[in-house]
Amino acid sequence: MNKKKMSSTFARMYRNSQYRICLWILGFFTMLVTFFTYKSKKGKDQFAKILADLKAEYERQGLKEQFYKEALRQVQKKNEYFKKKVSESEEKKQAEAIAEKNLLQYSRDKAKERGEMSNVSEITMASCYEDLLANPAFLAVSVILSLPMYILMFLYVRPIAKYVTERLFLMIFVLFGVTWLVFTILYIAPMDPATNILGPTATQEQIDSFNKVYGLDQPYLTQLFTTFKSLITFDLGNSYQGNENVIVALMSKFPVTLMVTFWSMLVALIISIPAGIISAIKPYSTFDYLAMFIALLGLSIPNFWLGLMLILQFSIELGWLPATFQPGNAVSFIIPAIVIGTGMSASIARMTRSSMLEVKNSDYILTARSKGLMEKKVVLKHILGNAMIPIITMVGMSFSNLMGGAAVTEKVSGINGIGSYIVDKQFIPDIPVVLAGVVYISFIVSLMNLMIDILYALIDPRIKSKMKNY
Amino acid sequence: MAKEKTDRKEDFYLKKVYKRKLSGSLEFTTAKLSYQVSFVLAVVLAWLTFTGETVSPVMAAVTGVYAFEGVIQLLIAQRIRKEVIQSDQGITDGTRKLGILLLPFVVTGNFFIFIAGAMLVKKEKNLEYQLAIYSLLVTIFVIIISSLNLFKEYVVSTFFIGLGLYGLYAVLNFIIVLAVNKYTFGKKPDKKFMPFAVICLFGIGLGNVFAFMLGLIAIGKYRNKNEEVSVEWIDVIKRLFRNYTAVIGMFLVVFFITISIGSNLTFEYSVAVENNFMTRLAEPSLAYPFGCDDYGRCVFTRIVFGASISLIIGIISTIVPIIFGGILGAVSGYYGGKRDNAIMRVMDILNAVPSILLAIAIIAAFGVSTVNLILALSVSSIPAYARTVRAQVLGISNQEFVEAAKACGAKNGTIIFKHIIPNSLAPIIVQATMGIGSAVLSTSSLSYLGIGVEPHIPEWGNVLKAGSTFLETNPYIAIYPGLAIIIIVLAFNFFGDGLRDALDPKLK
Repeated sequence: MNKKKMSSTFARMYRNSQYRICLWILGFFTMLVTFFTYKSKKGKDQFAKILADLKAEYERQGLKEQFYKEALRQVQKKNEYFKKKVSESEEKKQAEAIAEKNLLQYSRDKAKERGEMSNVSEITMASCYEDLLANPAFLAVSVILSLPMYILMFLYVRPIAKYVTERLFLMIFVLFGVTWLVFTILYIAPMDPATNILGPTATQEQIDSFNKVYGLDQPYLTQLFTTFKSLITFDLGNSYQGNENVIVALMSKFPVTLMVTFWSMLVALIISIPAGIISAIKPYSTFDYLAMFIALLGLSIPNFWLGLMLILQFSIELGWLPATFQPGNAVSFIIPAIVIGTGMSASIARMTRSSMLEVKNSDYILTARSKGLMEKKVVLKHILGNAMIPIITMVGMSFSNLMGGAAVTEKVSGINGIGSYIVDKQFIPDIPVVLAGVVYISFIVSLMNLMIDILYALIDPRIKSKMKNY
Repeated sequence: MAKEKTDRKEDFYLKKVYKRKLSGSLEFTTAKLSYQVSFVLAVVLAWLTFTGETVSPVMAAVTGVYAFEGVIQLLIAQRIRKEVIQSDQGITDGTRKLGILLLPFVVTGNFFIFIAGAMLVKKEKNLEYQLAIYSLLVTIFVIIISSLNLFKEYVVSTFFIGLGLYGLYAVLNFIIVLAVNKYTFGKKPDKKFMPFAVICLFGIGLGNVFAFMLGLIAIGKYRNKNEEVSVEWIDVIKRLFRNYTAVIGMFLVVFFITISIGSNLTFEYSVAVENNFMTRLAEPSLAYPFGCDDYGRCVFTRIVFGASISLIIGIISTIVPIIFGGILGAVSGYYGGKRDNAIMRVMDILNAVPSILLAIAIIAAFGVSTVNLILALSVSSIPAYARTVRAQVLGISNQEFVEAAKACGAKNGTIIFKHIIPNSLAPIIVQATMGIGSAVLSTSSLSYLGIGVEPHIPEWGNVLKAGSTFLETNPYIAIYPGLAIIIIVLAFNFFGDGLRDALDPKLK
């Protein structure tokens, strides 16, 4: 990045109030030096002189009187309209302030015009920064001391990187919000983990010591603060039951959930996309009616019931598939994958059909056909390609839901995934586990949503160009 | 080669014309669905009957009856098809008389054949006629379901009162069908129909929404002063009734509502909740149509009582988030700015947690109970409604009529409640209809995990949970509640899909 670009980026960032705060936080040293330079230079440069001269001249010309009269009339009319009773001196004071402001603005505009002719510009933070950058020593020290600021500037000039950074930044707030929400729900709850773990025979002393060990006797704000602190340090504590590290436990469930998600996604896509395409190409045909009926049925079947029926048919009666999940046995993935996959494929197929039908009658499809494109290409490239956005949204949403663990299906098939882990622990309620689980899942959901939004830009050139101007 | 091709083309277009003619004929569509469903049911029943170790004579007889129904319906459907395609006059009177033959088969529980028969019998079918027929059908169905209790050792003391009430209403309903035929086929219903309309309105007390709608429509049409302009909400219902699957969905929903009201009179609650070790794990029989569970409770009665619980939970946990989400969405969409930003950030937080997980967390905190379940389901679906309402309000508040209202000096509250909300209702109604279905689904899922409704209440998920333990030996305990869930959710989905089309302004 050359220096010119750096200073112009700085100027753009400094204009935005949120980024200004970020600049101050991330590049404190550079900002401090720049700020003092600015303060010392301000009012002593060429521009300030022109401005002062002009202002004095206008005042001599009686422009201020003119502004004052106008302002006074405005203030009086305004008070009259709103039926406000204001003393005359107050009105005059207001008019004076307005006139002064207008005069300054007017002379500043004129000064800028004159300055442009003689190549003099106003001193700002950005111009100070630009001057300072010319000094290599300053540049070196500044890069070393406020590296985060330069990284932010580096990201700022790349639209997609900037977008991602902003979203990630917002995500931190969402995660804290989720933590606060779930923690508060668990805090105001009447459920008492101590009695649930220690049993009904526990003495009051035992309960008190349990509460003391886990900090449950602390006031609300202290506990909330401790929770936030543990969230920042990625150490969400140990579970009450079994005393295992929550993060480690969640991570150990992660591979199973990922595998289930992967296989169910595969099943869902294999069923839904072709079904949706055929239904959209031949709407109101027998296949369409049948496929859409089955899709609606798939939306209405409770997952656990379908799982039970498959187990009944294929495990108990026919004995083809194992009834419960066994780690390392790929065959035992089949039933859960089909159960989750069919449920998801229903919504994806419906979405594919409706969004393709919407695209199908567009003018550009007619153009594609009339220029003699093969039907296959028209359908796959033009219709499906343009109908992709809602489909991807749907797929992404199902994916993030699954990564959160399909608790019910996991329970039916005996999969030891994240969903069933949370359900098992919520009966106590094991506060660290429920909290960590919910935060983890909302993290995944937010991350998935971000990835979907970026994927839009890759697929749709319209969104891409919009993002470029971001 | 070329000639062959044109031949095929001609045939192709002819087929298209036939298809259009047939799909435009309500008689044929209902008849077709009727024989298809009858055959499918016959095949399923046959498979169930003859794969078991012992062939039960009752089941075999039922299978035979269904197959017979299917054959009769198929023959009639073929005849309708021929007449619709070939002649311009449409279906002849002789064929229409055959419709009467189909009506009595409703006793076997096949409502498709009854609808097909009723649609065939009459040539001109207006909205009122259809509503009257469906209302009659619902009443007959409740009577049939209730009379299954007669096979039990004893019935509840109010049984005969309840059955008599419904029988009386069925008779009244039949008279209403005749009255509809006589009085409502003009531009405006006759004045003599008004007493019948009032009787129809009372149907809501028995849960018969169709009768209630019929009464409302008759009165609405009667009071409509300008005959050239039709009433808008009647038009929506009219469009809804053009979609046969939506009507079937609506019929099932109304049936579930009616049975959950009627079951208080005609079903014995103790059979559903009290232990009876005489009938422990009894096989399905006439007295216990779906068998008994491990505590000897009648699964059929449990499912019937479960309907009201599921419906109540589903409806409340849809209305509550509509109110809260609606207010939040309307405020943030109408005022914009800081309020919008603040509300939407809170919604983002709620949205980041998958709804079922948030429900689990809330229940974990407050314990397992029906009220907590409703609370959990409501909170977790607030963001979805808030978003829909906000998007709607954003679109509408930029339109001219809102600006006009503002220029007239209307207050913000007046504008929101009088102008914006009525115009943004359509998508919310559709979402709510589907939402009730998914709330039923979530309720049963959570109950199945043991964190929904209290375990002693006969909610469908609880019934299913009890059955899943005996999957190997007594699978029927788990199968039937699942089917009930599927039917009710499917009904809401069909109804919602139909409503979406009926409310779509593009299709007017």
